[in-house]
Amino acid sequence: MTRPVSHTALVAAIVRKDLREFSRDRLWLILTIVGLVMFIAVFWMLPGTVDETISVGVTPPDLAETLIGLSGGEGEGAPAQDDAEGQAPQGLEVVRFDSEDELRAVVAGEADGPDVAVGLAFPDDFAGLTARGEPVTVTVYVESGVPAEVRQAMESAVREIVYFAAGAAEGVDPMDVVPVRQETVVLGEDRAGEQVSMRERMRPLLAFFVLMMESLALAGLIAVEIQRRTVTALLVTPASVTDVLAAKSVLGTTLAFSETVLMLALTRSFGAGWSVLLVAALLGAVIVTGTALISGAAGKDFMGTLFLSMVLLVPLAIPAVTVLFPGSTATWVKALPTYGVMEAFVRVTSYGESWAELWGPLALAALWCVGVFGAGLLVLRRKVRTL
Amino acid sequence: MSASRILTVFRKDLKLGPRSPIFLYAVILPVLMTFVVQVAFTSLFEPAPRLGIVDRGGSELAAAAEALDGIAVSRPAGDAELRRLVEANDLDAGLVLPPGFDDDLRAGRQPELRFYIGGESLASNRVILTVTTLDLVRAVEGRAAPVEVVVEDFSKGTLPLSARLVPLIVMYALVMAGVFLTAFAVVDEREKRTLDALIVTPVRLGEVLLAKALLGFVVAVAMALVTLALNDALGSSPAGLLVTVVVAAAMSTALGLVFATAARNTQMLFALIKGTGFLIVGPVIFYLFPEWPQWIARIFPTYWFIDPLYRVALQGDTLADVWWELLVALGLTAAAVGAVVALARRMEARLAAE
Repeated sequence: MTRPVSHTALVAAIVRKDLREFSRDRLWLILTIVGLVMFIAVFWMLPGTVDETISVGVTPPDLAETLIGLSGGEGEGAPAQDDAEGQAPQGLEVVRFDSEDELRAVVAGEADGPDVAVGLAFPDDFAGLTARGEPVTVTVYVESGVPAEVRQAMESAVREIVYFAAGAAEGVDPMDVVPVRQETVVLGEDRAGEQVSMRERMRPLLAFFVLMMESLALAGLIAVEIQRRTVTALLVTPASVTDVLAAKSVLGTTLAFSETVLMLALTRSFGAGWSVLLVAALLGAVIVTGTALISGAAGKDFMGTLFLSMVLLVPLAIPAVTVLFPGSTATWVKALPTYGVMEAFVRVTSYGESWAELWGPLALAALWCVGVFGAGLLVLRRKVRTL
Repeated sequence: MSASRILTVFRKDLKLGPRSPIFLYAVILPVLMTFVVQVAFTSLFEPAPRLGIVDRGGSELAAAAEALDGIAVSRPAGDAELRRLVEANDLDAGLVLPPGFDDDLRAGRQPELRFYIGGESLASNRVILTVTTLDLVRAVEGRAAPVEVVVEDFSKGTLPLSARLVPLIVMYALVMAGVFLTAFAVVDEREKRTLDALIVTPVRLGEVLLAKALLGFVVAVAMALVTLALNDALGSSPAGLLVTVVVAAAMSTALGLVFATAARNTQMLFALIKGTGFLIVGPVIFYLFPEWPQWIARIFPTYWFIDPLYRVALQGDTLADVWWELLVALGLTAAAVGAVVALARRMEARLAAE
């Protein structure tokens, strides 16, 4: 007497069995939980803002105005916009010091005081010296770790302040002190003060790590089943090869998708573009499951499976890594399977974009899903049949 | 112990080793990490301002800009290309120098200077590029600056981030070859039960372990030297560097043998290394954050070889400056060997019982 069993019930039974095995595999269980907690912790530990300012100490204090004006803010020669603390509009934080000794001690780290990277010490009688046309010596104090370009720029700023002061002493219009007519144009959306933080830039990479962890776990699970040939035992039950493949696919995709969604939720990623993020997470889960099917079927042992998985996953990580760097993305990176997924993660959360802007990359990712997942099913089916 | 039997097993491992994924990891990944760290991470954490210049008249300003330290200068083909690059954030700013710019400047005719700024460029980079450009203009103008600038630098020899990342890469090379390759070679033989076959021959377990350690040691020395060379960190004392690398590889290999004799299978080995990995790589973090209390790094056993390596390779120290740290490292290596002897006895008993 045999009772007909539906394919859904068979697949569900295999998924339950695999989940039990997964929960017994302490290595992957611990790595999954610890990994998820770690990635979320790393996200929140990363800086949430971008430090775009160079902090400069100036003495005597009245020269701060000129430096602010020179940096593109409005200082001497134009209406001042800084507050009582001497804040330049953007890019430069100017701190006034009453004496050179105090400034030197703070930059050298020998005294407590405001955090300044560079100190500009003009002579106390700076105005008098420039008015009389006498030689002026200015000391630039540089703290440890200041990049060459900042140091160069501050030396340039000193020279420019002296040009301005000399011009003012001679009654020259500030506009005529500069030897060029400079026309400045900002191209693209001006994000000064609102740059995408390292935390936001890291989100796609951390999400990819979660996907990768699940891909490795699934590959390991499949490899063990192949090596121990327990899959052949399954095939003498009413379950067919298709049921086994469907169960592995469901398990891998569900685990990877749910953990990615959890990670995105705990990093407060869901907002107006939640549906785009969900679709992107699902596409990412399907792609890594496809790679897991391939590496699990082809790996001969634990290290072999791990190695093969890494070979397949490293190229998939490239789009998440390119997000970390400024500039446009190379065309070949845009052609990679995970490009659309990672682009959606960063564009939705950092730039507030939606389906209108992201349907193209996501459609390409969906095509890749079909290809990678199809290849995975094909490789695993062939492997199972040869056992 | 027979040297010839050890060499026979070593030769076999050397022949079969390159087929193992772990061997490939040990050889390829330090090179890959060097590339990533030197190219990618330095531009990630210390991004140089990027300036594009379209020079329509052969201005001296463009050549002077290219000679500047810390500013990446490129020369796009034309105005449209420059605008595209600035808008796409491939450049922070762009300059367009019209024909006759230098002559007009020197004649006091205030030539036009078009300055494009990328919306996504950092405000600090905008300040740097604006002020530096103005200074370059002054230099082309040819007037002597009415000021003498004296620079007092408090850097006290702090190395740039790219150099402070070198210990991380070298540690990785040592861990992959000395620890992982050695341990995996033993555990893999144990798992596949070829170790059982080996020890029924005249070869003793101690000789097998020594042969595996020799392979890990040789690859660790080679990869540490290759990694240092790729990072241009060979120091000024070749003998000191070689001795330090040898001590570092010896300690890494001894640690690898501890893992090899403690783990029963690959998964356990993987878990052991993952679980205790922070004890091995811990000290390299302190080079990245020089403001942290550096004495904490001394708690980690690997500090005693990585610090001499850092000082000899990057700070110009010699063997005379680091000898006592190396002695501590050798003492710790001896302690690890003691642990290996005890663990190997237990392993031998287990193999006999299985």
